[in-house]
Amino acid sequence: MAALGARRLLRTGRRWFSETVPGAPSPPASPLYPPVVASATAKSKAAKSQRLQRFNQRVHAAATVEEKLRLYGKLQRPKYTVYPQTFALNADRWYRSFTKTVLVPGMPPRAAAAKPPVAVAGTTPEAGRAPEPGAEAPRAPQAPGAAEAAKTSEPAAGAAPYLDMGELRSLACDALLQESFYQNKKRPFLYRDQDHTPGPFLTQLVSTLAAFLSGRNPLLAASSLDLNPEVNYYWHHGEEVVVHGHRKGRVDPVRFQINDNPHLQIRVPKQLPEVVPLESDLGDVPVIDHKPSKLPLFKKQYENKVFIGSKVADPCCYGHTQFHLLPDKLKRERFIRQRLEDQIEVVYRSNGIASLFAWTAAQAMYQGFWSEADVTRPFVSQAVVTDGKYFAFFCYQLNTLALTTETIKNNPRKNICWGTDSKPLYDVVEDGNVKGFNDEVLLQLVRFLLNRPKEL
Amino acid sequence: FPGVRQAQWLTKTKLVEGLPPAVQGIMDNPAHGLQELEERAKHAVSHARLWDTPEVAPRREQYCPVLFENLIHICRLMSGKYPSLSKRMLARNCRIAATWERESILLQVRGLSGILMNSMTPIPPVASKEEVLATREHVLETFYPIAPTIDLQEVNVYKELNDTGQCFGDGYPYSHPHTLFFLESANVRTNRFRPEQLRAKMLMFAFGNALAKAKALHGNDPKVLEQPVVVQSVGTDGQLFQFMVFQLNTTDLVSNDGVKNLVWIDSDRNLYEKAQCVPEVKKRVVTKPAGISGFQPDTFKKFLALYLHGTV
Repeated sequence: MAALGARRLLRTGRRWFSETVPGAPSPPASPLYPPVVASATAKSKAAKSQRLQRFNQRVHAAATVEEKLRLYGKLQRPKYTVYPQTFALNADRWYRSFTKTVLVPGMPPRAAAAKPPVAVAGTTPEAGRAPEPGAEAPRAPQAPGAAEAAKTSEPAAGAAPYLDMGELRSLACDALLQESFYQNKKRPFLYRDQDHTPGPFLTQLVSTLAAFLSGRNPLLAASSLDLNPEVNYYWHHGEEVVVHGHRKGRVDPVRFQINDNPHLQIRVPKQLPEVVPLESDLGDVPVIDHKPSKLPLFKKQYENKVFIGSKVADPCCYGHTQFHLLPDKLKRERFIRQRLEDQIEVVYRSNGIASLFAWTAAQAMYQGFWSEADVTRPFVSQAVVTDGKYFAFFCYQLNTLALTTETIKNNPRKNICWGTDSKPLYDVVEDGNVKGFNDEVLLQLVRFLLNRPKEL
Repeated sequence: FPGVRQAQWLTKTKLVEGLPPAVQGIMDNPAHGLQELEERAKHAVSHARLWDTPEVAPRREQYCPVLFENLIHICRLMSGKYPSLSKRMLARNCRIAATWERESILLQVRGLSGILMNSMTPIPPVASKEEVLATREHVLETFYPIAPTIDLQEVNVYKELNDTGQCFGDGYPYSHPHTLFFLESANVRTNRFRPEQLRAKMLMFAFGNALAKAKALHGNDPKVLEQPVVVQSVGTDGQLFQFMVFQLNTTDLVSNDGVKNLVWIDSDRNLYEKAQCVPEVKKRVVTKPAGISGFQPDTFKKFLALYLHGTV
């Protein structure tokens, strides 16, 4: 043991001695020869991975976001076109597996303080009510056309301004009556019922509500409203073997592209706050063993577009809320006739998941993130899917963009989508009256529009 | 042949250049915060002309309506400050029909009149009573020997209609036509109206709306109105804006004398000079950078002032 100790001492002593020799030239900092890497042009697996790495480095090193997007979607190959509004059975399970999304039913829990106290608006008859002590006197019904228009308002406890449900309800009813009853329109074109009444109604409703609530939500006051914008996103997920053609036998990533046209879109300059932390796990992502073409999904080769609704130079580059209108092909009566009642909700869900994934992922790409450079903060957006009468609300949080085979291996993060079932806003409109108006749906819509970052 | 002069004769109107002082007052009033909106208006123009589509440059059919929507969105957001602005309703594709007699010639205006904005409260009369009475001395210019109905289509009319596309009688809350918007968004230049013709079209449709509203309010008998009806109109092709305020003083249009109607026209205002989608490069040097050049905030201020007129 002593000999060992002596040897160690000797060894360390020798090393210490050689370290402090003054004037010895230190070895050059950079190696004399470039690193030995695999060739980029050989027909080998190492060469293929070297080419992929070089491509990744090129995209990482791109100077501007436009350049990055251009390089990302440069190579055009056949890809699956994913349609958010689809009649495919159980499409929402497939879409969840393509986008690694967890579906949580119901709306995300918000802090109770953030919810604006809502004035109690009773469905009292129009024959007046005794004014509550200390409250405003109820205003006379605004229009004989809108039913249940008696407005009352109570000052909420605390300094937060109250929300006048009666006013909002009358705005919504007026928009509905304007489009369906008051304006003389020609008969709707064949199979274009949605463009005739529910489309304009949705536009009117959202624009008037957004303008009305802009005093309360400064984010809305700086927002940008688009009618019929384009939202596109292109991504890879999974792997497959090329079946036929000159590239037969090679292993290729499965490419997807979403080309969506929401009816209305609100974009804002500041991002919405995250709902849950980035690494939360709220459920499971369905795993489907079949090829995507069994859904049915079809392949096409065209330009790989990534677009949120306006170009990168726009200051309003984050999304707030989207509004989707379901076409005539997917109306409820058709599903009921074909005895597929359970697929009605699937239509709303698949539309919400696919559209919101495309929008949030495109927003993340506009900020410079992509599948090799995963997002460092979650991107949140909201959507309302409707067919004119039934409304379904969705909130999406994008936690990860890394869905390709290499990046998904060690990625525990999942994207989360909260969604409700579709509920009717009203029962029927006849003779200038809106019957059976549902305040819950309107309240949820208003809460969506009032969503804003904490510091505002 | 200038269209506005013919339209003036047909509608028995006197023309005043520039916008009325009430609207000018709204523009000059600093309390409305029109300065901060300049930045937003510039963004709105850039979005419509440059950023709206994944292609390089959007076509006029796309950017003209988008520009209009963006400007209206900015105007509507002012209702956070003025809550009574939410008492407005936009009606698209509304059909207008109005008939009147002019020196024993029966005239009518029919058609899709663009986008109409209705409000619950009428616009107060812009000209004072004295100015209205002073129009009696004004003589309408005639175009002898050209008949004033030149270039008008002669049609057999079986029903003399007077309606503005909405059922005004049924307790419709937004019963007063406020502003008409005309978007000349055809891609091909020959399909678009020239500025002069656009102004004439604006005048005719504003007159038609005002006349139908007056007849609905006061009945079909021709008379001088106690409460003149005011209808505004804005026409654009995406870059040039024409502003117009029309006041209907009388429905007695058969004779050539008496009280006339009044119209204030502010024509050919550019919102911006040029929208460069890709930077122009000559000999490897960027001569014109991409973006909007020559932005005129006054035009947007006039747009906003016309929007706020009546509630502020």
